[in-house]
Amino acid sequence: MIEAKNLGMRYGRGKQLALEDINFFIDRNEFVFFVGSSGAGKSTLMKLIIRELKPTEGLLKVFNRDVGRLPRHRLPYLRRNIGMVFQDFRLMEERTVQDNVAFAMIVTGSSRREIKRRVPGVLSMVGLEGKAKAKITDLSGGEQQRVGVARAIINRPAMILADEPTGNLDPGTALDIMNLLHTVNLRGTTVLVATHNREIVDRFKKRVLYLDNGRLVGDEQKGIYTNVH
Amino acid sequence: MFINGFIYIVGETLNGLYRNRWMCITSTGVVMVTLLMLGLFMVVNLNVQHITEAVKEQVEMVVYIEEDADRATVEELGRALSGHEEVTAVAYVSREEHMGRLQQQLGGMLEGYDSGLENPLLASFEVKTADPEAVVGLASEFEAYPGVAAVFYGRGYVEDLFALTRVVQIVGLALMAGLAITAVFLVSHTIKLTVLMRQREITIMKYVGATNWFIRWPFFLEGLLMGFVGAVLPLGILHYLYRIFAQWIAANELMFINLLPLQAVISELALYLVPLGVILGILGSTMSMGRFLRV
Repeated sequence: MIEAKNLGMRYGRGKQLALEDINFFIDRNEFVFFVGSSGAGKSTLMKLIIRELKPTEGLLKVFNRDVGRLPRHRLPYLRRNIGMVFQDFRLMEERTVQDNVAFAMIVTGSSRREIKRRVPGVLSMVGLEGKAKAKITDLSGGEQQRVGVARAIINRPAMILADEPTGNLDPGTALDIMNLLHTVNLRGTTVLVATHNREIVDRFKKRVLYLDNGRLVGDEQKGIYTNVH
Repeated sequence: MFINGFIYIVGETLNGLYRNRWMCITSTGVVMVTLLMLGLFMVVNLNVQHITEAVKEQVEMVVYIEEDADRATVEELGRALSGHEEVTAVAYVSREEHMGRLQQQLGGMLEGYDSGLENPLLASFEVKTADPEAVVGLASEFEAYPGVAAVFYGRGYVEDLFALTRVVQIVGLALMAGLAITAVFLVSHTIKLTVLMRQREITIMKYVGATNWFIRWPFFLEGLLMGFVGAVLPLGILHYLYRIFAQWIAANELMFINLLPLQAVISELALYLVPLGVILGILGSTMSMGRFLRV
């Protein structure tokens, strides 16, 4: 599903490599943690996968396509297959919960009937039934991130990318969100989570890719954070 | 899909206008003020042009014929004038006709002169040209012609008039161009602020897989609407002001100020201001979002 070969990323000419010689393969339905301290290259890797950035070296294939060579007008179609979850939620705060979730469907051209049918189901899956008409600003941080997850999964993407999804949440709520992502994974969606939350990584015992200073220094099945740090 | 997308875009345009109403009012206001200034200037310029054109049309050349010129010389002069490429009309006015006009102009004041005294007036050719400015060259050409006593065309006054019209035209064009550029600058910067306020929204749209056109359409329509309203309002204001001014001119019997009719001015203005407003709005809103689409 994702294949990196000698992948490298340099932000500007003469600047240090943000990622260097990265090699990995992620299969369908996997649950993978990208771990490492701030500046290790986790976010850069995420941005490369959704082609917010273009690799400067090597090859990165997502859904069997070389994203480095993907023409700009094809980007929306790549992103429709990837649900994004962000640390800062990135929701439209002045709109309601259902509007935020439906938005991802409208953008991809779903019919009104389809939207009406699917949104309540997803909201109930993330535990937000009864909050459909609530404004984002009236929700707690945990609830906002649930909306973020609902928006990410509403189009049934093949993959979820979560960049520090628990970074702004207290430990209890963070665990709830991770459980939610785990459920999504069990339903057949590949989930990639960039985090430096040690507890979460150790608790879930999933595949862990360790990044340090732009290099991939470890790749373990059922890994734990403490192995490297 | 298409209908759903269309409903979304129209809804989003109206929502966007409502949610960002203060910024939209500001942007529309900026379009309105700049176009009002531009329109006001255009009104003045159109009327100055109209008045000077009217004055120019009255410019004609009168070629006075020497008292002792024989018939053949006069006929030759007449032929030379009407054959000239700049000349559109030549009319011969005899000494008697001149006297008749004078008597008409002065009314009863010339009574008594009509019989006993000899007519002191000279016969003439009254010459019209296609281009009023050609009379200056034409006059100097015919001054030395056989049988010509004098050529009159309002020397000095006509040259000043032509120089003035040229200055008015050049200054007018320069000022209008300046105002139009200022309008583009002001509008694009004001709309850039609305786009900046919605940067987050645009970024989210990009992440969930919206195409650039899907994102651009609501901004495009918003810009179009703001530009249109920003152009129509000054038209209304100018319509009102022009009507008041024309009434004031009529009331004060300043008939020498020959204004263009209201409808003609407003339709001429609409022809420029409405497309300009719409283009300003669209350019302002779509140009300023290019940076945010590159996510």
